[in-house]
Amino acid sequence: MRDVWDGLPVLAQDLFISAVLLLPILIVALVLLRGYAPFPLTRAILWRFRWANLLFVLLIAVSVGMGIGLIAQERGLRQGMAQAADKFDLVVSAPGSELTMMLAAVFLQPSDVGLLDGDAYAEIAGHENVDIAAPLAFGDSYGDAPVVGTTAEFVRYLTDDRLEGRMWERSGEAIVGPAVPLGLGDGFVPAHGVGAAAEAGAHAGVEMQVVGRMPRTGTPWDRAILIPVETVWEVHGLANGHAPEAGDRIGPPFDAKYFPGTPAVIVRAEELWANYALRSEFTRDSEMMAFFPGTVLGNLYRIMGDVRQAMSLMSAVTQVLVAASVLLGLFILSRLFQRQVAMLRALGAPLRFVAAVVWLYGATLLTLGAALGVGLGFVASAVLSRIVTVRTDILVNASLGWSEVPLALAFLSATSVLALIPALALLRQPIVANLRA
Amino acid sequence: MALPLRVTGLDVRSPRGRTILSVEDLQLPAGALLGVRGPSGAGKSTLLYAIAGLWPQAAGAVHWGDTDVMGLGEARRTAFRAANIGMIFQDFLLFEELSAQDNAALTSLFRPRDRRRQVGERARTRLAALSLPETARPVASFSGGERQRVAVARALAHDPAILLADEPTASLHREAADRLIHDLTALAKDSGTTLIAVSHDVALLSRMDRVLTVQDGRIARGESGVA
Repeated sequence: MRDVWDGLPVLAQDLFISAVLLLPILIVALVLLRGYAPFPLTRAILWRFRWANLLFVLLIAVSVGMGIGLIAQERGLRQGMAQAADKFDLVVSAPGSELTMMLAAVFLQPSDVGLLDGDAYAEIAGHENVDIAAPLAFGDSYGDAPVVGTTAEFVRYLTDDRLEGRMWERSGEAIVGPAVPLGLGDGFVPAHGVGAAAEAGAHAGVEMQVVGRMPRTGTPWDRAILIPVETVWEVHGLANGHAPEAGDRIGPPFDAKYFPGTPAVIVRAEELWANYALRSEFTRDSEMMAFFPGTVLGNLYRIMGDVRQAMSLMSAVTQVLVAASVLLGLFILSRLFQRQVAMLRALGAPLRFVAAVVWLYGATLLTLGAALGVGLGFVASAVLSRIVTVRTDILVNASLGWSEVPLALAFLSATSVLALIPALALLRQPIVANLRA
Repeated sequence: MALPLRVTGLDVRSPRGRTILSVEDLQLPAGALLGVRGPSGAGKSTLLYAIAGLWPQAAGAVHWGDTDVMGLGEARRTAFRAANIGMIFQDFLLFEELSAQDNAALTSLFRPRDRRRQVGERARTRLAALSLPETARPVASFSGGERQRVAVARALAHDPAILLADEPTASLHREAADRLIHDLTALAKDSGTTLIAVSHDVALLSRMDRVLTVQDGRIARGESGVA
């Protein structure tokens, strides 16, 4: 049975779960409505209390929308982060916190980290299974954009060789991310440091020129300015990774003796298995560490998974509270038409018919609210995605998928069944007393 | 087909158990028009609701033809009302958002599918007979007299054997009341329906075959028995 279920496509599973969740509503509807035509009366009641009803629908919609919007957002952020880390198979750095290093190397969040020396870099770059070993150099910025030193090979790999303009050919040329407000041919002077601590005049006289622009990748690198790693070293008064006799040479191989150090080396191996071998080979106590950003993210998600569950629980509790207030509201609203109910009973309407009218009224409000809530969730998710994307440069897509629909359906199903309570309570009201009320 | 009424030993109590109406014997032939009068709070409406099987704390026998509604369970009482009784209330109790036709055909909504059209057609005929305009306007825009005539059409749409009216003219001005009295009694007589109307309205009572006075929860002496 389990195998059959696991063998089904995800969409089929979602459709099946949705159908199961809808089943209680269908059963209640079938039992109550069979053989009757309560719709005109329900429509009349909906119209009579239209403003109160509208308020109800909005209340339900906001609750459902917030719940599924948050969950969709969390998933979108997770996918966005995974996508941002996609090109970073293996990172080798000085020993320390993998998380801090990943945030610095992959998400370009500045932090003080140790450096790998030239011998370590030479060993990594010279390994037979390593195709790309890109040193990174951080520390400068231009406006909001971090300036990152690296190699042309890594830029080509990062952009899949789809550069607008051209690759740098000498020190002092730069490639900008699509979100950087610099055009091809523009010049700029980097500031030393990042953010509020940046010193604007520290590199005065070091004007760089933009020669290429990267395509959008949906990662924090969209806001980065990439320059030859040699340039970073040079503007800080360090050796530029090459022996003086090498002249203006940029790019690997580097001379270990003139290698000032790099906080991280991004390693790319053609073969998947090689990544695992490289990781264990480059993980050495007190010398260097190697990690998969994907694994670090995975660990982070595991911790966040608890948060996510807490969020889901809070969202569920909120929805239960909303459901309780909706039921209370239905009780109050149904009091308003208890004379009509008494009249119907006096005219010979069966209990099931009266229950059908009142239940249909509640179920309609709940259905409209849940449907509107899914729409609101989508909008909320899109807005939040845009905000998160702008603030973190991690492309988050508003992806309200099938996995959110069961949440809305579960809410709808549970509350619709509970909506039977006010309907049945109304039937216990005395007919004559209400007719005379 | 109209139904005769026979009430014996009816004892209606308040929810607290106090007797509020007591009828030893009351008989009414099928198709008769009975007016019930009496001071406010005397038990007139209670009598009406009790013989409709709507009063929960009541004992005794209320025979409509061969059926003792007091002996029926809740569901069968309801079904009896749906099949045999039409009711008219003082303040109309219409669905204000619905048209005259939808209000008049209201009871078709809970009838078997094959009977819905029949009730709808009869509602249309009754509305026409009561000179109500054929319009989709909601009855909220109708005058009091028009609304009560819609209520009469609703009460008669399923061709009931019994018509029970609780102060049907009390919310109407004189002219509208007179017109309603004329229409109501004419329709009841034409269709041979047994009509029982609780009212203070002398004009209505004067059109009845017989008038009972209810006083202090009892039918006034000398007025019970066979009409």
